[in-house]
Amino acid sequence: MKTKSTIAIIGSTGNMGSAIAKSLAKGSNRLLLFGREDTKLQTLKNDIHTLNSGADVEAIGCPKDASWEADIVILAVPYAAEAAVAEEIRPYVTQKIVISIANPMNETFDGMVTPADSSAAQELQKLLPDAQVVKAFNTTYAANFAEPVIAGVPADAYVAGDDEKAVQTVTELVQSMGLNPVVAGGLAVSHTLEHMQLLLIQLTVKNNYNWHAGWKILHN
Amino acid sequence: MFSELEKNLRQHITLTTDEFDRVKRYFVPKKLRRKQFMLEASDVCTRMAFVSKGALFSYSTSEKGSINVVQFAFESWWMADLYSFFTEEPSKLYIEALEDSELLLLKADRLQPLLADVPAMETYLRILYQNAYVALQRRLEETIGLTAEQRYLRFMERDGRLLLRVPQHMIASYLGVTPETLSRIRKQVS
Ligand SMILES: NC(=O)c1ccc[n+]([C@@H]2O[C@H](COP(=O)([O-])OP(=O)(O)OC[C@H]3O[C@@H](n4cnc5c(N)ncnc54)[C@H](OP(=O)(O)O)[C@@H]3O)[C@@H](O)[C@H]2O)c1
Repeated sequence: MKTKSTIAIIGSTGNMGSAIAKSLAKGSNRLLLFGREDTKLQTLKNDIHTLNSGADVEAIGCPKDASWEADIVILAVPYAAEAAVAEEIRPYVTQKIVISIANPMNETFDGMVTPADSSAAQELQKLLPDAQVVKAFNTTYAANFAEPVIAGVPADAYVAGDDEKAVQTVTELVQSMGLNPVVAGGLAVSHTLEHMQLLLIQLTVKNNYNWHAGWKILHN
Repeated sequence: MFSELEKNLRQHITLTTDEFDRVKRYFVPKKLRRKQFMLEASDVCTRMAFVSKGALFSYSTSEKGSINVVQFAFESWWMADLYSFFTEEPSKLYIEALEDSELLLLKADRLQPLLADVPAMETYLRILYQNAYVALQRRLEETIGLTAEQRYLRFMERDGRLLLRVPQHMIASYLGVTPETLSRIRKQVS
């Protein structure tokens, strides 16, 4: 597609938000960054322009305006903050793709705060019933975006969602970032994807993977 | 955000409050700034735009890089490349914001679900397509059958008030004359 996509990143000053922004800025997308701290946003903008001097990025003053102007919205805030942000952006994301990257872990990293039969992505879909929620990037550590190849192989990046076109769009986006997209299924698969990351985090701490690890399906 | 669309729909069809609330759930609210594109040539036009605020224009480009303006759309008008929308062939047109704009977009794959959910919208869309056809035919006939001066006068009569918002070279392009010719015509008729 030639027509530029406008992607809003809410929480762009965080670990994930800034890593995703830097990775996306290498492509031809227009990025709208929302963050609560101006100095962090300025630093991020400068970093992005160092990576790609022609990058089309702009800081936007509130999640509502960023979402209204966007074609795709990435929620990169902590899971606990999602309900409030969703409430604010709801009228502006009708029929738009909203990417859920959250892993809704409890404070001791031994379980989830979401209901046992649900997931962060499904909870977000309930809050944004007219949006096309797609799960992506939740199994990708922030550090992986700059180095998507781990131990010689590109890490898998699982994508799940109920709207076929939306899943395809996100898959292409993931691919453009140098990750290996794998379509995992409908949005309900998010439950599994989020638990995969819970396990990976536990193993990362236990085995000292240095926060640079990922999942890979081996197949022939 | 939806008041212009609601007014426009209610000019043509009767909708209950509940039906209009359902209609709203199919439209993508989208802000576009001046000079940004809703569509670039060689992409398929997959969305129809209702202009809530601002203005759009569509055009093709020549090999030499000049532009041929096809259509303008101001508040409460619709804009799309319907040919590409229905045939799913790549568009030859650009659709660009003439001013900072607020649009409500209807995606091609949402059209059937909307009509199934709110059947009254069939009537509205039929009227929309009729109007689009009439406008296209009129444009064709005016281009073939009228002198530049006659075209200019018709155009001013129809949309004169809105054209204050359009740069002269775009009006000239729309009428198929050079800016110099347009300026001469304007002097003659005033
Ligand atoms: N870190 C990873 O490797 C990783 C991997 C996969 C998925 N995830 C998921 O990604 C999400 C973000 O994680 P993170 O590690 O990037 O967290 P983080 O570094 O703490 O970043 C969170 C971002 O959200 C903003 N924020 C916090 N509360 C907010 C609120 N109430 N309203 C608006 N913005 C708010 C923060 O802004 P301030 O800077 O102003 O506080 C910051 O920009 C989480 O859901 C996490 O589960 C993380």
